[in-house]
Amino acid sequence: MSNSISRRSFLSKSSIYGGALAMSVKLPLAEAAAKLSTGPEVINAGQWRTIEAMTARVIPTDDQPGALEANCVNFIDKALANEEAAAAAGVLQGLSLLDRLCETHYGRPFVGLEAAQQDAVLSSLQAGTAQPWATDDPLSGDFFEVIRSLTIIGFLAEPKYGGNADMVGWKVAGYPGPRHHGGGYSPEQMIGEEAIITVWGEKL
Amino acid sequence: MKKQVFDVCIVGTGAGVMIDQLTAAGFSVVALERGPYIPPGEFDDDELRNSVRDLVFSADQQETFRHFEHEVAQPGKIADIGQCIGGSMTHWAGWSWRFRPDEFKVLSTDGPVEGASLADWPVDYAEMEPYYQRAEWDFGVSGLAGSNPYEGPRKKAYPNPPHPHRVGSLKFEKGAKTLGYSPFPVPLAINSQVYGNRPACVHGGACRAYGCPIGAKGTTYSVSIPRAHLTGKLDLRPNARVFDLPIENGRLTGARYFDQRGDEQQVWARQVIVSAGTVGTAQLLLMSRSGSFPKGLSNNSDQVGRHYSFHHHPSAIAYFDEDLHNYTGVETRSAIDDLHPSDSSRGFIRGGVIAELNTFTHQPIMHALAATPAELQGAWGSSLKEHITDFTRTLTIAGICEELPMADNRIDLDPTHTDRFGLPLARITKRQHPNDVAMYRWYEKKIMELAEAAGARRVVPGRVPGVHIGDGDHQSGNAHNHGTCRMGDDPSQSVVDRWCRSHEVPNLWVVDGSVMPTNGGYNPTLSILANAYRVADYFIGEANRLSV
Repeated sequence: MSNSISRRSFLSKSSIYGGALAMSVKLPLAEAAAKLSTGPEVINAGQWRTIEAMTARVIPTDDQPGALEANCVNFIDKALANEEAAAAAGVLQGLSLLDRLCETHYGRPFVGLEAAQQDAVLSSLQAGTAQPWATDDPLSGDFFEVIRSLTIIGFLAEPKYGGNADMVGWKVAGYPGPRHHGGGYSPEQMIGEEAIITVWGEKL
Repeated sequence: MKKQVFDVCIVGTGAGVMIDQLTAAGFSVVALERGPYIPPGEFDDDELRNSVRDLVFSADQQETFRHFEHEVAQPGKIADIGQCIGGSMTHWAGWSWRFRPDEFKVLSTDGPVEGASLADWPVDYAEMEPYYQRAEWDFGVSGLAGSNPYEGPRKKAYPNPPHPHRVGSLKFEKGAKTLGYSPFPVPLAINSQVYGNRPACVHGGACRAYGCPIGAKGTTYSVSIPRAHLTGKLDLRPNARVFDLPIENGRLTGARYFDQRGDEQQVWARQVIVSAGTVGTAQLLLMSRSGSFPKGLSNNSDQVGRHYSFHHHPSAIAYFDEDLHNYTGVETRSAIDDLHPSDSSRGFIRGGVIAELNTFTHQPIMHALAATPAELQGAWGSSLKEHITDFTRTLTIAGICEELPMADNRIDLDPTHTDRFGLPLARITKRQHPNDVAMYRWYEKKIMELAEAAGARRVVPGRVPGVHIGDGDHQSGNAHNHGTCRMGDDPSQSVVDRWCRSHEVPNLWVVDGSVMPTNGGYNPTLSILANAYRVADYFIGEANRLSV
């Protein structure tokens, strides 16, 4: 069936990121970049640590792995270097605005804050209430949404794109991984009468 | 060099029954497809590439959209269609219904409705029945004849048995039976056993929005085009963006298109069949202007582009305590039709089928991003993580609900935005009829009741704030596109006649979803295919008079 919860609409909101996350097609794919490098491509080491800290609040680690273990920051870096290149400038600008914000309120950059402080800052970004923040682009809510969405995608996309390390995202979701090429599922597995074997070889 | 004149030029390769039938009858056919040919080896389950980023099937697609004529339409990907060899069927999920007899005769059945442009089809179920049968047998539909008590009479069973259940579809059927409904297996053009030299489905889970990596899906790509190639009569040209159908002395001469490099090309043909889809067909006719057709080809009655409709999809997301295995199997296994028959005492006319489906629940990224419960929009932190862990425990139930056509819901040419060739984007202007909204609300309640009866611990409406194709508090779908070049007997009220031949240009035909006067409460593809078989039979019978 069709649906309007469309894969096409989830991120076409802001001007500076405008459509970038859904539409940039002609660029080389992050898959290739992820094979070549596990270090920063478009962000520097400090920006890497800031994004990594943000992802850790978006999908926190608890008794199960989170964005840190999935290496979502690596996914985001490769995506910004490739398919989401149009969003890269906005992200970099957002990162510097974020650190200015944190310095103003806490005297430390984002990575130096306690988790609760980080959450408060991110909440203000999402709500658009962060001060000081530039009144023009990038809007703080859009900046946060790009990081949030890319963290989710990096957590659950195929590992070849640089995130979902050791398939931890799929393990958290309870998803056995794509099985079309591995023979699919038997009718007994589909109704729970036989165990499902994950792509990493465990029984579900 | 003598220029080659084909018997037939077909624009668009979706629902490619005409390509198959006309080459089989011995006509030379050139088929022009705006999208690429995707080799079968590129079909995979990669959710990011196929579904989230939508890089595979319609990478270049763009329209503009607005609800009302006074608004400025904004660009985006609106219609959920495929632009590639095989068109939308290449990534469809195979739902293959026959419309019921009354769904061809809505105006006669329910009478006129203010603000709606209801019309009867110029054909009826009896005329369509043998062609439905051909479509079912050519595309290998699986199903159980007689299991849907509301279906019209059929002369022959399905060629393949139903697909197996998964835990989620068993829950759905249990809930349906509790409420006194009659669940049945959804007919699907997906092989449930080896059929037509194509393998059986392995139930890998990724159907809608994906190409089938093993070719178990019945599609133009896997059925019609391979057969047409074997005749030696098909000249198939991908990456051919048709922008004009030139006319001389009242007859089309063929088509002009841009090739992949942007160079202009031309083909000549005696008959031209436009199958570019409900959006693309109207757009092409409107772009093809000439002295005798200043408002666009076959548009002297101002009907091209009008009466555009989707379906709307009232739905619920049901949360259970156990793994429903919804990442396995076909997109939908089970449905009910008990609420479908039209009953104006409900406060609206028409209706739709209701089914369980795994549209989001086989796709972890889409599940996490869509975050259907309103309070989870934009979620992060522990609430997001909990939502992710609910991935295998959610079930979607949705209606495929008939929308009433409206004359001002339309495709025209955007005055501002253009594509990479400089061609105007199709502009969609579309809002909902009050009947749609009333139906949506009523169905949403019924669907939530059904989800509760299925044993869900929690049920939420399947609405996604911020994503509105429908206006107001409900959503329209975007994959089922109908209308825009209606078929009918009255040239002032339709674009093509009952044989899908233009009222105004004798060698122009339109064979796709755009000819549908109303849209039924079922996925439209089998009706589009059946109608194409019907038109192909007529075309072949008329061949002598058509000078092909």
